[in-house]
Order: sequence, then C-alpha cells, then structure tokens
Amino acid sequence: MKLLIVEDEPKTAEYLHKGLVEQGCAVDIARNGVDGQHLALVHDYDVIVLDAMLPGVDGFTLLRTLRAVKQTPVIMLTARDSIEDRVRGLQDGADDYLVKPFSFLELLARLQALQRRGRAQEPAQLKIANLQIDLIARKAWRGSERIDLSAKEFALLAVLARRQGEILSKTAIAELVWDMNFDSNTNVVEVAIKRLRAKIDNGFSPKLLHTIRGMGYVMEAREATGQDEESTS
Amino acid sequence: MRRSITWRLVLMFAFAALAMFTLVGAALYGVLERELTRHQNEDLNTNLQNMRYSIERFGDLEHWQRLQVKMDTLTPADGSVRFWVLSDDPRFLYGKGLDEMERVNQGEAGHGMLTLPITGRRYRTLSMRIGALADRPPVRLIVGVDTAPYEHTLRAFLIALTGLTLVAVALVMALGWWIARIGLRPLQRLSEQARALRPNTLSQRLQLESLPVELEDLTVAFNGALGRLEEAWQQLEGFNADVAHELRTPLANLIGGTQVALSRPRSASEFQDTLQSNLEELERLRSIVNDMLFLARADQGEAATGLTAADVAHEVEMTIEFFEPLLDETGTTVAIEGELRAQATMNIALFRRALSNLLQNAIAHSAAGARLVVTITPRSGAIWIAVANPGKTIAETHLPRLFDRFYRVDSSRRDAGEVHGHGLGLAIVKAVATMHGGATQATSGDGVTTIAFSIASA
Repeated sequence: MKLLIVEDEPKTAEYLHKGLVEQGCAVDIARNGVDGQHLALVHDYDVIVLDAMLPGVDGFTLLRTLRAVKQTPVIMLTARDSIEDRVRGLQDGADDYLVKPFSFLELLARLQALQRRGRAQEPAQLKIANLQIDLIARKAWRGSERIDLSAKEFALLAVLARRQGEILSKTAIAELVWDMNFDSNTNVVEVAIKRLRAKIDNGFSPKLLHTIRGMGYVMEAREATGQDEESTS
Repeated sequence: MRRSITWRLVLMFAFAALAMFTLVGAALYGVLERELTRHQNEDLNTNLQNMRYSIERFGDLEHWQRLQVKMDTLTPADGSVRFWVLSDDPRFLYGKGLDEMERVNQGEAGHGMLTLPITGRRYRTLSMRIGALADRPPVRLIVGVDTAPYEHTLRAFLIALTGLTLVAVALVMALGWWIARIGLRPLQRLSEQARALRPNTLSQRLQLESLPVELEDLTVAFNGALGRLEEAWQQLEGFNADVAHELRTPLANLIGGTQVALSRPRSASEFQDTLQSNLEELERLRSIVNDMLFLARADQGEAATGLTAADVAHEVEMTIEFFEPLLDETGTTVAIEGELRAQATMNIALFRRALSNLLQNAIAHSAAGARLVVTITPRSGAIWIAVANPGKTIAETHLPRLFDRFYRVDSSRRDAGEVHGHGLGLAIVKAVATMHGGATQATSGDGVTTIAFSIASA
C-alpha cells in the first residue's frame, strides 16, 4: 500500500512512518501543508493520512484542493473532538477521520478498511493452518474434528479469521462482534477470547489465537518459536 | 447610544406632561373661542334689534335721513361695527361698499361671515329683511362686527398657551430628572455592593436589607447566581484535583517503569514487557482523556445526535448479550422486566454505553451467581431503565453523589491496575441521560442497589 502522511508533529510522523513501513507499506512523509499538497497532487497514493492542523496550508484547505483534482481516499487526523470539525472534514471529502489520541491499531484497521473497499466478494471458506471455517454453514473444524461454537463465539472467530495477521483491539472486537461502538472498559472481550481459545486452541497445534499484551488479539499460524503467550488474560 | 433609565424616565415625564397640557390647552381654547363667538353674536343681535326697531316704525324719507345719521353715530371711527341697508330704491341705501355687499350677501337672513374686498377686514354679520312701509320699499338690514379683535385675542391666547406648555414641559423634565436620580439611588447602592465582590470571596452576598422591595427579585436572583457560581467553582477545583490525581498513577507507573527498564542493560523480551506495561497505562490515560472530553461536551449542553427510534427492550437485550461471556463466567443471571414494548428515540451507541456501564458496575459489585434485574418503566414522559443488583447497601449520603466524576463510596479504595473503573462510569451514564433529556437516580436498601437513568420518550 502506498501512503502519504501529512503531519507536522515530528514524533507522530516518525512512529507512523516506522509502524506503517513495518506493515509493508510504502510511506511518504510531508511535514507541512505545502509539501503535502504538492506530493498529494503529483503522486498517486492509495490512502492519504492528513492532519487537520498544519503549518502553511491547513488540512481542510489541502483536502478541498485535492478533491478538486482527484479522489484519493483520505483519513483526517484531528485533535479537536468537536462535531463541527468532523462534519467539516467529511463534507470536504474526507473518507474517514480519527480523533487524537488515536491508537495505531485503529489507524491500521481504518487503512485496511479503506483499501478493502470495493474488493471482490469474500470467500465462503477460510483456512488457517488446520483450522477450517465455513462462513456460510457457520461451522468450524480443527483438522477433522468439528468444533462446537455458540453464535457469538462463531462471530468472534469469523471476525478474527477474516483479518488473520491483523491485530484487533478489544474495542474493535466489541464493535465488530457486538456492535458496541465505544471504549467499553470491561473485560468481556478478554473472557470471550479465553473461552474461544479454550475451544479452538486447547489440545490442538499449532496455536492460532494470540494475545498481544496491551494491544489486542491476532489470529495467525506462527512459526513454532515456542514463545506463545498462552492465556494471558 | 446606550439607553439610560434616567433619560427614559425624563422623556416619559415630558411626554406625559406634553399630552396633559395639550389636552387642557385645547379644551380651554375651545371654550374661549365659543364664548367669544357668543359674545359677538350677542353684540350683533343687540345692534340689529335696535336698528330694526327704528327702521320698522317709519316709512318716510325724513325719518330715514335721521336714521342714517343715527347709524353714522353708532358706527365707531375704527369701523369695528358696521351697518348696511340694502333695497331696490336707491334712496333707501346705506353703508360703504354697497356694490360688493349686494353681490356678497344674497343669502338668507341670519348669521354669516364676510370679507370686505378693499380693506380685507373680516366681519361677522347678522342680517334680516324688513317689510315695506309708506315710501320705503322692503329693505335688508345687515349688521357687521369686525372679528379682528377676537382673532387677536385668540391668537394671543394660543401663543401664551404654547409658550406656557413648553416652559412647563421643560420644568417637568428638570423635575423628572431630579426624581429619577433620587429614585435610582438604590441601584447605585446595589452596583456599589456588586463592585465590592471579589473573585476570591465567592461566599459574599449582596445585602438584601438595605435595598427597596422592587430590587429584591434582582438581588435574590443575583445571589442565587453567586451561589451556583461558588458551587461550580468548588466543584471545578475538586475536579481538577481529581483529574490530576487520576492521571498521576499511570504517569508515575510510566515514568518509573521506563526509568527502571533503562537503568540496566536488558534483554529484548524485558524491554518488550516494559513497553507492554507502558502501553496499558497509556491506554488508561487515553481512555480517561476521551471520557473527560465526552463529559465536557455533555456539560456544554451538547444534545445527542444520530437519534433513531428504537425498541428499548431490544437494546437492553443486545447489551446484555455483550456481557454474556462475563455473566457465564461468574454464573450471574440478568432478567429484563417491566414494559417490554417501550419505544424511544435515542442514539443507540450512547444508550448501550450507559447501560453497559451500569451492568458492568452491577456485575462488579455483586457476588458470583447473583441475579440482576433490568427494569424498563415508562414514567411521566420518560423511559426509565433501572439496573438492580444484590450487594452491600450504599449509605444514603453517597447516593446523590454517585454520579459525580471520580466519586468513590470508599475513598481509600482505588482499583489501580484494573482496566475498568476510573471513576467516570456513572458520570457518563448521567451525561448520556442528560443528552437524551433524561435524569438519573440511585437507591439502595435491603441489600439491593438500584441505579437508573431515563431518556425522554419519543
């Protein structure tokens, strides 16, 4: 994915650059609105991450200028959590917005969602190592053994498996599985993950559902390195 | 220009005085004019009757000549009273400017007005016909009285009246200004009192006793505002302290943890551990900051947006479903009771957030295997959602303050390290209720604690 980050705060720009490059993205950085505008107009990016408050040309102006020429998807970053700002950003043609302080995971999720947009239909079957999931029949097998899951457990598994390799925060999981659109501050997700893990990972190998402490959960088949954080929650 | 009460009063006084004087003046003028007219008419009548008597009795020329002499005598030198006699016989004519008289006064007998063409003098006239006798043909007798003196009197009266009115209005204005100044003196005192209030002595109030009753409402209202201000100020100070305190723990953990990690050479996995721990603290900070921003927006009176009509019981079920893993784990059950068909217009995410805060509290404060009850009750234009859990009774004094930010029943208890419970949960419930035009309520007794919030129904 080819990205442009327009951000004047050096630390933010630096960690975004580092994190996104490690995720396999090609990242350009602009430290002010003028450079940002130039790069955005000259090159074709998959997504532009745009800070609202910038020296030179502010984010809203840059966005309007860009929209007059092309439809590159834009995620706005704003420190001001006011409805007017959000509305303004979206009216000016932003595809999404994130309020500072935002989590890196959330940004990643939004970027992937923007890139996923308009992609072909999902497969009906998912396979991770020897875990097989039938999304239509809503059934799962580990090897040849059928795993018995409740409706919500299956929904949780499907959410994780669809985004295999992608770290999902507890907030994102609560939103995707239970439609709870807020920082819930509860350990519900931890408990749910623990129970799902007991069903799909206990007694099976390799382990697929991993906890990334402080960040969330990821489903992937890892190389057997032996450092699997089993049931940290 | 800014409006001044004194000048407003003065102008109103002036207007009232002007209106009164004009009314009285107009009435007086009317009376005077009528009296003068009556006087003139009497004058005319006397002269007419007098002359008529003389004319009627004799019909010969000799007498007529004597009569002419009499009329000459009766006509004053200044011409203020005039006589005319008109007839077809040129011998029996009398008066100056007779040619014109004939043209002018062809009308019926009686009162009339007449302007002499040459001198331009105006006369009030009275005329009558007198029948023929002997030599004399029928004649027409006209008596005229000059109106100039009367008009002069009226004009003089009008000028005097206008002048006096203007002087009187000016005097009333001056007096009114003085009265207004005196009348407004208590306001002056009030503003002096208000000026004496200092920001650091918020407990000070305006003195009610020294002020007139008319200012009581204002003073009471002002004192009320001062009271609320003082309360808000104290709350703000306490609140700032709470925020600082709340942020201190994670910050201390971050600084301390990072310092310890950096003080010795360590393995990658140890650093990873530290970073993960830091991330947890940072997430906590972020969550506090976000919740504070949310509360600040609610405080500014922001109403809930994105409202949709929703089935309340359904939303309650969905939220309970979210807690199912946790409920299963602790063996807790939740029952939904009350009006299950209730509908409400709400922001669904906010509603779920409020209810999930209540459920989370209820689960945390009841023993494993407890039975929680969510009750939906429509009551006076609002729908109440109450969550009841068995647990330790909360003392009466704490109940109203439960919804305050960072308020904890047991002030020594800090669930540090726990992801949940940074003391804003119920404040958020209250904010959500307020944003939906509702309220909150907490009751506790007989081992059951019930916390409820309401949203305006439809």
